[in-house]
Amino acid sequence: MAHETPGDDFAYDLRFQVVKVMNQLVMVIRLCQGAQNAWDMLSDEQSQKHTTTGSGDLNDLLGGGIHCKEVTEIGGVPGVGKTQLGIQLAINVQIPVEYGGLGGKAVYIDTEGSFMVERVYQIAEGCIRDILEHFPHSHEKSSSGQKQLQPEHFLVDIYYFRICSYTEQIAVINYLEKFLGEHKDVRIVVIDSVTFHFRQDFEDLALRTRVLSGLSLKLMKIAKTYNLAVVLLNQVTTKFTEGSFQLTLALGDSWSHSCANRVILYWNGNERYACLDKSPSLPVASAPYAVTGKGIRDDLHTNLREVDATEQATIVFLYLNMWHIIHSQINTVIREKQLQGGQLPIGMDNS
Amino acid sequence: MAAAGGGGGGGGRATTSGCGLKRRYAPHDQEEETMNQDQSSKEDWCGRLWNGMDLLKDVTENKHVLPTGLEGIDTLLGGGLCQGQLTEVTGPSSSGKTQVCLHSASHAAVKHMGVVMYLDTSNSFSPSRIATIIDGTNDLSDQRGFDLPHKERLKTMMRSIVCKSVFDIFGMFEVLHQLEVSLLNDKVKSGGRKICLLIIDSISSLLAPIIGGKYPQGRSMMISVAMILKKLAYKHNLSVLVTNHMVSAGNGAVKPALGESWKAVPHVRLVISREHGSNICTATVLKHTLLVFPLAI
Repeated sequence: MAHETPGDDFAYDLRFQVVKVMNQLVMVIRLCQGAQNAWDMLSDEQSQKHTTTGSGDLNDLLGGGIHCKEVTEIGGVPGVGKTQLGIQLAINVQIPVEYGGLGGKAVYIDTEGSFMVERVYQIAEGCIRDILEHFPHSHEKSSSGQKQLQPEHFLVDIYYFRICSYTEQIAVINYLEKFLGEHKDVRIVVIDSVTFHFRQDFEDLALRTRVLSGLSLKLMKIAKTYNLAVVLLNQVTTKFTEGSFQLTLALGDSWSHSCANRVILYWNGNERYACLDKSPSLPVASAPYAVTGKGIRDDLHTNLREVDATEQATIVFLYLNMWHIIHSQINTVIREKQLQGGQLPIGMDNS
Repeated sequence: MAAAGGGGGGGGRATTSGCGLKRRYAPHDQEEETMNQDQSSKEDWCGRLWNGMDLLKDVTENKHVLPTGLEGIDTLLGGGLCQGQLTEVTGPSSSGKTQVCLHSASHAAVKHMGVVMYLDTSNSFSPSRIATIIDGTNDLSDQRGFDLPHKERLKTMMRSIVCKSVFDIFGMFEVLHQLEVSLLNDKVKSGGRKICLLIIDSISSLLAPIIGGKYPQGRSMMISVAMILKKLAYKHNLSVLVTNHMVSAGNGAVKPALGESWKAVPHVRLVISREHGSNICTATVLKHTLLVFPLAI
């Protein structure tokens, strides 16, 4: 090696030493910090619990329920039950661990104002009734367990944000990270109609695409970092492709790349169906479901499992409550008469 | 001649200003060069001149082809993903791009070709799907009852797939830089498993928030990422697989995202699409450096 001056030798040696030390340090760092290999991820995934949707068929469609650490988009025409499903998930995530749920809290971000508290109360009651039905012995053991199974406790654990413009929506999603750092037991974030504020008032479509993709990246990061499920509810719109009008989810092609799972809810005659449109690990499939007084349940016209539940599968939930009360009263009267051994008045034989 | 490195081949450049210039322009080569004291490193630093025969020898001996495991795609690609090249798969939503990536990763793991690095930007890496694919390619044993040697085999195969989630472009730069440094380091020691495939699922979702608008930083970051990826592919003999998505091109047509500047970056570009409601995907080649396809514009 030809060097100009002796000083160069020294400089060369020094640099060589520095580089060597750096290399030793580098060898300590793994191939990439924070990376995990697939086997570890598989074991993590198999120990994860899913949030049940309330309907067995829907759960099967989704591979056990809504997955944590993933963003799921649910879209459908108005009136098909998106908000009902969102509320049901916000309640179901709070099912205690001993009854097979996640025992976590929920964050509900409402952009349209469709969160009806009375309905939430009713769904919570329905959920508790189902839990007590499936686990009849457990509430006798621990009285403290039963105290927690009150609808009020379910309502207390839902954090509700009401948003009135798209800037507020961006602000809330930015704030969510800090919020979730303080409340570590949140297990689901439901955003009811992520598209509502972006469909009007936005002249610059390119800006809209940029803002939305930034939002979706933040949501995915939140889902992964805090180990929770993110559920986005979306509206549908018509698109003119190949000479015909088709229903597609709002916000365009660029938004459809933002989520890992997509479920589309639609009407098939008189029944509601859910179709899994996009998923990294599950095949495309459809399943029916129904919206009942207790919330989202299996569609019983296609599925005759529980006999007494057929009475409850009616359309309007207010009707349902009144019917239930009257029916039970009639039953008690009939039983009393039968015990007395008397004749039943005419017309009271059938319910 | 200060720290222009022990490369005596570069020695003889008398002026210090000349060396100062070299130091500014080629820091990485200097590090690399002080690590490897042998002849070939000196030649890398001063720019080894390859002749045609050397290149041909290099291509036939070193540049292998990594099959993806999907026959149609392998046929279109001319065997599979070429080492040293950047392959792009683009397509509309839910057309199967993630499945192509997962299949390539599993296939590389099954054939023990090396470590697969999977950079995931949309939480769509599904280990259970990888396990299903690996099981599918092996003997048709029952998936529920894992007998022990089968499980051990699955474990070693899945251990060679490393996944990292990246959620913004700066995180991506950091990951690629770390990868570069650790690969430079691996060149020193022999043995150990080398990385053979780098998959980035949806680089366009990282770039979408910054591209467009009146500031050109987005495009320059895209080109920087492209340059780093190509450098990694060339220097360390990796194949790089990248997915892109489609945006509307007016009149209902769709085109690949990221614009005109990106078109020149990948060596091979594939478009896949899926009919609504079916499981069959069709793939088309947009650009290929080695194979000739009849042009359909």
